[in-house]
Amino acid sequence: MLEVNGLVTSYGLIKALRNVSLQAEKGKLTCILGPNGAGKSTLLFTIAGILKSDMGSIKFLNKELSKIKTSEIVKEGLVLVPENRLVFPHLSVSENLLAGAYSRFGKKNEVEEDLESMYKRFPILKERYLQEAGTLSGGEQQMLAVARALMARPKLLLMDEPSVGLAPKIVNTIFEIIKTLSDEGISIVLVEQNAVKASAIADHIYLLDQGEITFSGTPDQIEDNDIIKRAYLGDISES
Amino acid sequence: MEFLQTCIDGLLFGSAYSLLALSFSLLFGVMKRINLAFGSTLLLSAVFSLWIDSLFSIGIFGIFFLMIASSALINIYVEKLCFYPHSGKYGATVSMISSFAIWMQLDEMSSFLLPDRTASFPSFLPDSFFLKDLFIRIDQLFLFLIAVFMTSIFFYVLYKTNYGLLLRGVSFDGELAKKLGVNSGKISSFAFAFSGIFGAIAAFLILSTESQVTPFFGFWCTLKGLVAMMLGGIGSLPGAIIGGLFLGLVESNVINYLGAEYRDICTYLILLFILVVKPGGIMGSALLRDERAASERI
Repeated sequence: MLEVNGLVTSYGLIKALRNVSLQAEKGKLTCILGPNGAGKSTLLFTIAGILKSDMGSIKFLNKELSKIKTSEIVKEGLVLVPENRLVFPHLSVSENLLAGAYSRFGKKNEVEEDLESMYKRFPILKERYLQEAGTLSGGEQQMLAVARALMARPKLLLMDEPSVGLAPKIVNTIFEIIKTLSDEGISIVLVEQNAVKASAIADHIYLLDQGEITFSGTPDQIEDNDIIKRAYLGDISES
Repeated sequence: MEFLQTCIDGLLFGSAYSLLALSFSLLFGVMKRINLAFGSTLLLSAVFSLWIDSLFSIGIFGIFFLMIASSALINIYVEKLCFYPHSGKYGATVSMISSFAIWMQLDEMSSFLLPDRTASFPSFLPDSFFLKDLFIRIDQLFLFLIAVFMTSIFFYVLYKTNYGLLLRGVSFDGELAKKLGVNSGKISSFAFAFSGIFGAIAAFLILSTESQVTPFFGFWCTLKGLVAMMLGGIGSLPGAIIGGLFLGLVESNVINYLGAEYRDICTYLILLFILVVKPGGIMGSALLRDERAASERI
């Protein structure tokens, strides 16, 4: 579904991504793990068109994305859930959701339907639909950020560290939500530092280190690979 | 009775200040774009429309619509030149300074089109009537009604339409909006055009009640708009309305009781007083508090 080939992205002279290639398949949860500064967010930003790549290609449903704008990419069905559960703090919950559907503003009924289905999925958002999003708790804001992305009816969801900075209990909830979305057949590319939790739900895992893919395989294959397991995951059996 | 009369005069004229302050507030407060060239934009649109009128005699309605259109276009020009290229972290300062340069450019163009320094501006319905003992100018009454009508349209667009929603989103967090794929350049141009339209309507109403236009009108607009906006509280749209009405009230009473030469002194004294006592303006402190509360949660 998504095919990234030989991607190079740099901030000035520093190459944040060097020759990254990966694939995400339809209906699967692809997870990209890696330590701080590995280039995970850079990779997502480049795919979403927020950063421009120096080299390489990004093909989504056989369409080349590396040269077009973010607004066009969203219309193609690739939607980003940004890091740090970014919401518009002064807009109400329902307005935040509507803002997510902006690429489909013409179809009012469809948007209304989606709004209702989001409220069904996340009842807490319905309870607070008039509240300013800035007053929600961290977990609720993350749900809102996910729901807002879903409002764009994505074919592929790019999630940037959805668990960062949340209480452990909330982290579990968020991962359950991701698992549910994935089970429903939504294709997801998930970027995470929480390797244990992520590998428990992922279909395919890439390890990214210093801008390069150092491992690609299923979670089981990581289990079998002692060196990688120790370097990135710690001992899973202990945790 | 005399006091009532000056208050009515003040409120009627203050409604134009309110409209002016709203269009300033949209850019300065909501979009957080310090556009120093805005007053000059209004002046140029007025002078340009008068110039076209002198060539083709398009009449007062022609002037009205031409002012709206040209002001929106000039504002987009300013946006594309000064604000669009500088959207980053330090963009606010850079774009403010470049808008200062455009201010000079627009003013020069205005004085080029206005060689006699002063031109008469057509007034509409220069009649008046008495309501019991109160003297009411029909054009000022119209000014008030149009200002109320335009203000409701302003709020409708900003709070009830999709464009308004995106505009508020972009103004709160342009980077996030970009990440969601919102075309923030387009939204920003829309905001500038929108504020140009409202500024032009306010300018038209003011000019036609004063029935003349001078080269100082641009700077005058900037001052009045800023003062009304600051009185009400920067960023608060209801504050801009209140600030404008308040400014009108103060001015007409000062003119009546102290004399016209004290008008500006008193205005600035009151502004100073309010900024010292309530630094956020009349409505602004609550806004500041909410904003802080909201951003602390994130």
